[in-house]
Amino acid sequence: MPRVTALAIQTNQLTKRFGAFTAVDRLDLSVEQGTVVSLLGPNGAGKTTTVRMLATLLRPDAGRARVGGHDVVTESEQVRRLISLTGQFAALDKNLTARENLVLMARLRGRSRSAARKIADELIERFDAGAFADRLVKSLSGGERRRIDLAAGLIDRPYVLVLDEPTTGLDPRSRQVVWATMRELVTDGVTLLLTTQYLEEADALADRVVLIDRGTEVASGTPAQLKTQVGQQRVDVVAADGEAFERLTGALDGSFDITPLPEHRMVSVAAPDEVADLARVADTVEEAGIAVDEIALRRPTLDDAFLALTGHAPQTEEAQEQEVAA
Amino acid sequence: MSALAARPASPRRGGSPVGFVRDTVLLTARSLRAIPRVPERLLDVTIQPIVFILLFLYVFGSAIHIPGISYANYMFPGIIGQSLAFGVIGAGVATSNDMTEGVIDRFRSMPISRLSIISGQVMGQFCEQVVGMVIVIGLGLALGWNPHLTPGHAIELAALLVFGMLAFTWMGVLFGMLVRSSDAMQGLGFIVIFPLTFLAGTFVPIAGMAAVPRAIAQWDPISALVAAVRQLTEGYHATGSWQLAHPTVAMALWCLVIIAVCAPLALWRFNRKLAS
Repeated sequence: MPRVTALAIQTNQLTKRFGAFTAVDRLDLSVEQGTVVSLLGPNGAGKTTTVRMLATLLRPDAGRARVGGHDVVTESEQVRRLISLTGQFAALDKNLTARENLVLMARLRGRSRSAARKIADELIERFDAGAFADRLVKSLSGGERRRIDLAAGLIDRPYVLVLDEPTTGLDPRSRQVVWATMRELVTDGVTLLLTTQYLEEADALADRVVLIDRGTEVASGTPAQLKTQVGQQRVDVVAADGEAFERLTGALDGSFDITPLPEHRMVSVAAPDEVADLARVADTVEEAGIAVDEIALRRPTLDDAFLALTGHAPQTEEAQEQEVAA
Repeated sequence: MSALAARPASPRRGGSPVGFVRDTVLLTARSLRAIPRVPERLLDVTIQPIVFILLFLYVFGSAIHIPGISYANYMFPGIIGQSLAFGVIGAGVATSNDMTEGVIDRFRSMPISRLSIISGQVMGQFCEQVVGMVIVIGLGLALGWNPHLTPGHAIELAALLVFGMLAFTWMGVLFGMLVRSSDAMQGLGFIVIFPLTFLAGTFVPIAGMAAVPRAIAQWDPISALVAAVRQLTEGYHATGSWQLAHPTVAMALWCLVIIAVCAPLALWRFNRKLAS
């Protein structure tokens, strides 16, 4: 393995344009060795473009990126020995079986035929893939393919493992397998860069979260810091009818920080004390005898995060596709 | 997971010549496995020659008379040349499809020589062309082609066809990387390669063509190929240009030039394509 530095990943003003569309815009990112950093953002935020540049699959238009201290453009050979990328779309030969794919990848990484077979067996067992290991990849489900894809990325223990939306579109069972594997890798000291659209996933796995939007960093910190920045939890109260909504607004106003949403007959209440606030809101409603359909404590969502930190809602997928097409 | 963690990093680098050959062999084997699993790909390289054999042997051929040679013996060398040229289209379509596959990204992000990814692609396509060519020749022999080959000429012919298929596959792989989609490759094949295969003295003698097509045909590389096959199988000599008078030498030179131009361009394009 090439010599490496303390910073596993470092980008400096990294920029990538596709025509008039700037996918990644002067991004500064640093990931310390042995940590888990999550790039969190909606579709089209530039997450995939960033990790493809780190994996030497895309050439940056400006700025620099280093993996283990090696430049992704001028020292791409070294970078490819350090990094393993598992993308959102399974990078497997669909005319080979799952097992044949793993054996091929292991042999391309220099293993003998027997050693490659042994590694494939281990990985198939590790990823609970025995039931479909000898079926052609083109006949596997999305979750099965993703598990094999992730397994293929672990033939050599990578220095940096980059997972691009590893659980998007996965069934719960596959998601559990993927999360468990990531946790074990982290325990082993692998540096992990994880992109995700799910706050929950970043929260569960990452030491540090970098929130990106429109190709640039919006906020970063530990999941706890970010959630504080994003905003607190809220209690949403839905009134039974229009009259109850008026009374509800009157009853809660003054004691709480409220946002009335008449079109949904809903009052959204800031809940800095979380469950304690939920109880206080419920008591207030109970004492006033107001008819409500629902009272719920709601965690901040990624949408809330974007609203709070960027002042606009996340781009929809269609908008992103239009931009890419243009 | 401790088993995974304990594993050492890759013991070998992709940069060495030995590594390059090993990776190419592994990637070629990967392409070959697809042949029995996607047999319709073989149909792509055999269906057109079969259509033209039937069309010219049983429909148009009766109206074409070439002095001193039976039409079947005149036409089959043409069919062989045409099949080889269609290989450019086949390899181009297959390559432009393959390049969009996620697995290519996996290979590109691995510490292996990028040239081995392309040479694996070329060798896989090349083997498909060879299988297609064997089918076409077998069909020709079954339908009345009667080549007069000495053992020496047979070896020369086989070597020329192998060299030709290799060169045309490289050309196809380059085109496959240059085009935007496999549909564009089909279009390019239909507009450029298809007419060139007809001009090449494939079905009728070049000498009888009008001035403009004749001039093109005299320097069409496919003409050299067809003339070479005809000369080796029938001792039939074409005239009209240097390459037609010395078709085997001309064809060998064409192959060298095609590989020397297409291989580096394909590598350059491959490194640029998704990276741009």
